Order: sequence, then C-alpha cells, then structure tokens
Amino acid sequence: MTYDLQFFYVWQNLDKLGRGVLVSLELTGLANLIGLTAGFAIALMLRARTPVLRVPATALVELFRCTPVLIQVVWFFYCVPILFNLFVDPMVMAVLALGLNLAAFNAEGYRAAIQSVPREQYDACAALGLGGWTRVRHVVLPHALRAALPVLMTNGITIFQQSALVALVAIPDLMYEGKMLSTETYRPIETYTVVAAIYFAISAPISLIVQRIEARFDRVQA
Amino acid sequence: MHFDPTIPFKYWDALLIGLGTSLRLTLICLAIGIALGFVTSQARQSRLLPVRAVATFYVELFRGTPVLIQLFWIFYCLPMLIGAEPGNFISAVLSLSLYAGAITSETFRAALKSIPREQYDTCRALGITGLRLAIWVVLPQALLRAIPTLLSNAVALFKESALISAVGMADLMFIGSSIANRTGRPVEMLTAVAIIYFTVAFPLTRIVGRIEARILRRLAV
Repeated sequence: MTYDLQFFYVWQNLDKLGRGVLVSLELTGLANLIGLTAGFAIALMLRARTPVLRVPATALVELFRCTPVLIQVVWFFYCVPILFNLFVDPMVMAVLALGLNLAAFNAEGYRAAIQSVPREQYDACAALGLGGWTRVRHVVLPHALRAALPVLMTNGITIFQQSALVALVAIPDLMYEGKMLSTETYRPIETYTVVAAIYFAISAPISLIVQRIEARFDRVQA
Repeated sequence: MHFDPTIPFKYWDALLIGLGTSLRLTLICLAIGIALGFVTSQARQSRLLPVRAVATFYVELFRGTPVLIQLFWIFYCLPMLIGAEPGNFISAVLSLSLYAGAITSETFRAALKSIPREQYDTCRALGITGLRLAIWVVLPQALLRAIPTLLSNAVALFKESALISAVGMADLMFIGSSIANRTGRPVEMLTAVAIIYFTVAFPLTRIVGRIEARILRRLAV
C-alpha cells in the first residue's frame, strides 16, 4: 500500500505541540527538583543506623522501584484524593508521583556513590573533627554528587520519557497533545512521528553528554 | 470512606488472568529482546559503518523516546503503512521486543567491554573468527557477566508491560483499572494491582543482588 504522507496538519498545529512540550518539560524539571533533593535525603536515611529512618526509606524505595510508573501515576490520581480527602491540581499530583519515583531511583544512585567515597575521607574527617552535618555537606555530598552524576542525569532523562504517561490521565503534555492531534486530523503516522522526534531531539543531546562524562570517568580510572 | 480490603479477592480469577497475560508477554519479549540485543551489540562493534550506524540509531531511538509512543506508533501507524492488521498481541510483542532489544544491547555492550583483550588474541592465534568467535567465546562470557543486569532489564520490561493497557490489551493493569471503574473502588483495586506487581518484581530484584555477588566472587579468582 502506498501511503500519502501529509505533514501539513502537523505543521499547522505545531503551537499545540509546543505547549505540550512546555508542560512535559515543566513536569520533568519539577520532578527532577524533588528527585535530586529527596533522593539524597532518602539515600542518607538508607544508611542510617536507626531502623526508624532506615525502614521507611527502604520501603519507599522498593515500592517505587518494583511497581510500574503507570500504576503509581494512576494511584496518585484516583486514590490519594479519596484516601486523604485531598483535591489539588492534577499537575501537582503528576509532579508528586514522578518526583517520588525519581527520588527512589536517585536514592539508589546516591547510595552507590556514597559507598564509593573512600574510607580515608571518613578517617580524615574524624581526624579533623568534622562530624554530622558538616561532614555530609562538605565531604560526602560533593564526592557523591560527582560520582553519581551520570546516573542522576540518566534517571532525569528517563523521567522525561516516563512523563509521557501522564497523557493517560489527561494532563495536556506533549504525548496528550499528539494523541489529540492525531485523532482530530486522522494523521497518526505524521503526528506520532513528529512527537517521537521531539522527544528524541530533547533526550539525545543529554544522553550524549552522559556518554561523554562516563567516557571521561573511565579514562580517569584507567 | 469505607475501606473494604476483601473486594480484590472477589475478582482474584480475573486479576490472575491479567497477570498471566503480563507475564507471558514479558517472557516472550525478553527472549526475543535478548537475542536481538546480543546481535545489536555485535553490530555496534562491526567494522562496517552502515551496520554500526543502523544499530546505533535503533538503540538510541528506542532508548530516547517514551515506550508509550513506541506502542502507539506500532499499534496505530504500522498497520497503515504495511496495509495489514498484525493483531493486538503481535503488535504488543513487536513493540516491547524492540524496546527490550535496545536496552539489553546496552547491557551486552557493557559486558563485552569487560571481556579481556587476551581472549581475542587467543582466538586469533587459534584461528577462531567471525561467527564462531561470537557464539563460542564471546556469547557465553558476555551472557554470564550480563546476567544480573539482564534480570534488572527483565524487571524493567515487566513494569513497562503495564503500558499495553493503554492500547486496550487485557493485562493486569487493564483488568485492575477496569474493575476499579466498574465497581467504583479504585483504592482497593489499584492498591491490589500495585501489590501484585510488587510481589513479582521485588523477589527478582533481590535475586539480582545475590547473583551479582556470586558472579563477582567467581570472576575475581
């Protein structure tokens, strides 16, 4: 069968897709904000000596890592309002679901990075009398951040792709606008191809940067 | 709100059928994906530029776009392009296998990097080249080193398989949310679905850690 490609309608509605991109980027940015900060806090809790901190952190991480993102998003949308009698903007729920998911994955990345901080650093801290919060902020965090950077960036870009899921709960992100446009114009091939290209064009440069950083790390280690 | 934890048990048989579909799909796509991933990882090391370029483009494309749009593309666009309906199950298998191939090829690539250069030199000295080198020397070692990550890939694939509910396939997610809508009991049903996914995925992630430790110990001889 020969199919007549017509990109006209997609170009004409590019502004809609543009608005969708902005929503997707907003979701990704806010989720990363939660993921980077809460993720580090959770990573510290995972290493805590008291089970009071360790157990809830472990439960949170495992719950978010071992269930599909789709059910997390749907759960936040339909169950949180009923359970907690909390009715807020859908965007807030989406950011919460994606942000906590990212935090769980980032926590693992941070944890591995914290483990890679050499013992000598801790010994030096002890010798210098640095303890508690000072040690975390000035010694562990900079070290862990650098070591975890590739993982954090990869996770950050993954959440950009996972953010397409919110289209299924009718948040007008890029995926949702694409879906609408393809139904309106009966041009699924053109629309979905352009939408995929937009997602790709945003993720590809970042994953390239990650590869560069990893290559540099490999070289430094070798 | 009155919380009734017995509701999901009334529908256990339907949920079980959904879980069956999810698991079957995951296993089929994993098998195809691992084969495809190994071939792709070899193609990415090829000396021929076109082969390398195609393999790299395929991997980056499927890793750089949401799985949801891959599904939509294969479900709605592919039939128009080829002028035939492959059917729901085939379409789902096709899209998730392509995704699995892309992620496992990265796993194999990392595993291939860890095979010492001496192995290749030895093979050359023994006159083992091409396909025989790939199948008898590279594959077994790559597979062994890749097992922990492949298991993580399997868990990831199982979780991503929930997306096929969006194109109307009756997997665990689809059946769970249908019952939730029908009965007006989203909290009980969706929580039950989440717990079922968790009970399958969590033990697998534990096994990953175990195997990882064992393989590391063996390789560190």
